[in-house]
Amino acid sequence: MSTLRPGRLLAALLLLALPALGAIVVACGSGGEPASSASPAASGPISVTDDSGVEVVLDRPAEAIVSLAPANTEIAYAIGAGDRMVAGTSYDDYPEEAKALPKIGDFANPNVEKIASFSPDLVLAASGIQDKLRAKLESLGMSVYVIDPTTYDEVVATILNVGRLAGAEDGAQAVADAMAAAREEVRAAVAGLPAASTFLEIYSEPLMTAGEGTFIDDMITIAGGENIGAAAGSGFPNFSTEVLVKVDPAVYIADSGSMSEPGDISERPGFAELTAVKQGRVYVIDDNLIARPGPRLADGLRRLLEYIHPEAQDAQ
Amino acid sequence: MSGAADTGAGWAAARGRAARSGVWPGVLLAGAVLCLCLVLALALGPASLSLRRVWELLMAGPVQGDLDNAIFWQIRMPRVLVAALVGAALAVAGVILQDLFLNPLTDPYVTGVSSGAALGATVGIVLHLGNLPWMTVLAVAGGLGTLTLVWLAARRRGRIDIFVLLLAGVTISYLAGAVVTVLMIRADEDMHAIVYWLMGSFSGRGWGDVEVALGVLPFMAVPLLFTREMDILLQGEKRALELGVEVERTKRVLLVTAGVLTALAVSVSGIIGFVGLVVPHIVRLLAGPAHRGLLPVSLLAGASMVVAADLLSRTVISPNEIPVGVVTTFVGAPLFVYLLRRGRRL
Repeated sequence: MSTLRPGRLLAALLLLALPALGAIVVACGSGGEPASSASPAASGPISVTDDSGVEVVLDRPAEAIVSLAPANTEIAYAIGAGDRMVAGTSYDDYPEEAKALPKIGDFANPNVEKIASFSPDLVLAASGIQDKLRAKLESLGMSVYVIDPTTYDEVVATILNVGRLAGAEDGAQAVADAMAAAREEVRAAVAGLPAASTFLEIYSEPLMTAGEGTFIDDMITIAGGENIGAAAGSGFPNFSTEVLVKVDPAVYIADSGSMSEPGDISERPGFAELTAVKQGRVYVIDDNLIARPGPRLADGLRRLLEYIHPEAQDAQ
Repeated sequence: MSGAADTGAGWAAARGRAARSGVWPGVLLAGAVLCLCLVLALALGPASLSLRRVWELLMAGPVQGDLDNAIFWQIRMPRVLVAALVGAALAVAGVILQDLFLNPLTDPYVTGVSSGAALGATVGIVLHLGNLPWMTVLAVAGGLGTLTLVWLAARRRGRIDIFVLLLAGVTISYLAGAVVTVLMIRADEDMHAIVYWLMGSFSGRGWGDVEVALGVLPFMAVPLLFTREMDILLQGEKRALELGVEVERTKRVLLVTAGVLTALAVSVSGIIGFVGLVVPHIVRLLAGPAHRGLLPVSLLAGASMVVAADLLSRTVISPNEIPVGVVTTFVGAPLFVYLLRRGRRL
């Protein structure tokens, strides 16, 4: 056994390297600590329940926040926690300052290593595609709050929760009050009006809509619309064109943005006969106002009112 | 390739039987099935119109100012016609490719054509070129572009090595697939559109798509002029040469035909699996391998299968739709296994 075989040599080297790796990990861990221990908790741990029903506990307000969705970034800035944001996604475009944030990838492909490199004490995640990520991030010592509201009011509630976690209660309360005011204003405007049948197009090919149990469905209802898509199931189901023409909605709203470009709606097969097309009740809405569960939903709600019940808008 | 040779001999042996019994009963039966499928597909839909109403609409022709009329003439009719044309094209392309490659696993999607067409369409989606006519142009260009590449790879001293062609086709398929994936990740705001397009659908197809799909008709007629050559080619290229078949010319014409058929089909419907693989096999089991019967019956059966699958896709969980490729597989797979179990060889 005078010569080492290459395999053994490699194994030996790896064994030698392990303590060194351990030392690096320890060094990283301790490197993050002084920053967080600098400001001791004023009033005990903060505990809130996130939109996936998990209790999120922080010993003190978060000082380094990473957002994994453009809506989450909007919330952080709106409540005045923008200065705590250390990283966001490549699609963060609102407010303007968010564009300059370091990026951790995008909504569908967040990079765990990149997230960890900012050593955040709070990660604002989304549900669905990011579900698996939660356990991973928590095992790395980060607190994860999942934002997945299913109604307008849940958006407001989740903003208040994020405000507590980020130590921005006052800012969050102001945003929540503004959103609640928008809701009441719209509710009052449509009071007594018959619900107008409304189709909201999320996507054109294949035709997709907002089903029941989505905050978009909730907002259509608040704005005095009867959401046709609710009959197609929950989430964002696809929808038969034949049924759409048969139901013949009074109002047709298509969302438009980075994901979807509705094009000329009246040119689509069969659409020329729709009442909404003939009466000029086809609208295109910026998807950032209705598809991002954040503070701008208040603007989206007013816009929906304007489209679904223009007469109520005029009366105000 | 002893398996292929066996299969070829088996097909040739069965040929006499089919030739004796004649092709017309099979063609008429398949035609009747297609008519039934078309009638059902036009009569039934997620927007329930009574049979009487459908008849009135059919007689009235397309008129403006009537919702039911728009449902029938602008939505349902073009959709059914596109489905029929795409199904027919895929089945005919499947027959050509399986018999040219003497390989029962061949379908229009392993020869690189559909992946190339998918790549072309993906480029169209990423560049936001809109649907017609650019998607069609790019999909057809992508399909024929890959076919040309595969062709160049397989050409040696003026002749096409069919096995190199198959391997090169599979390889370039993977390559095109990888490029599509890269485009999807780089332009992930379009990921949705690409994924749905790749899944295949007839949702929202109109008369413009019918016009494109009608382009398959002349190409479906081409192989009908080569039925004798295709029969002889089943016994191998050497034998075909001995019998005086212009082998290279035949292969060239048939390959380009299958390529154009697949690319046009993919360009209007996206990728609809299983039809091009299974329909030719089912028809061979029922009608025998002689191309004079196999081609027209496969054409009609392919159209029937896709029209029926699309009918299910839009009615079963209305107002939702099931991707039509899922239906073709769900219906086709058990049927195919059943026919295989009945004991007749491919």
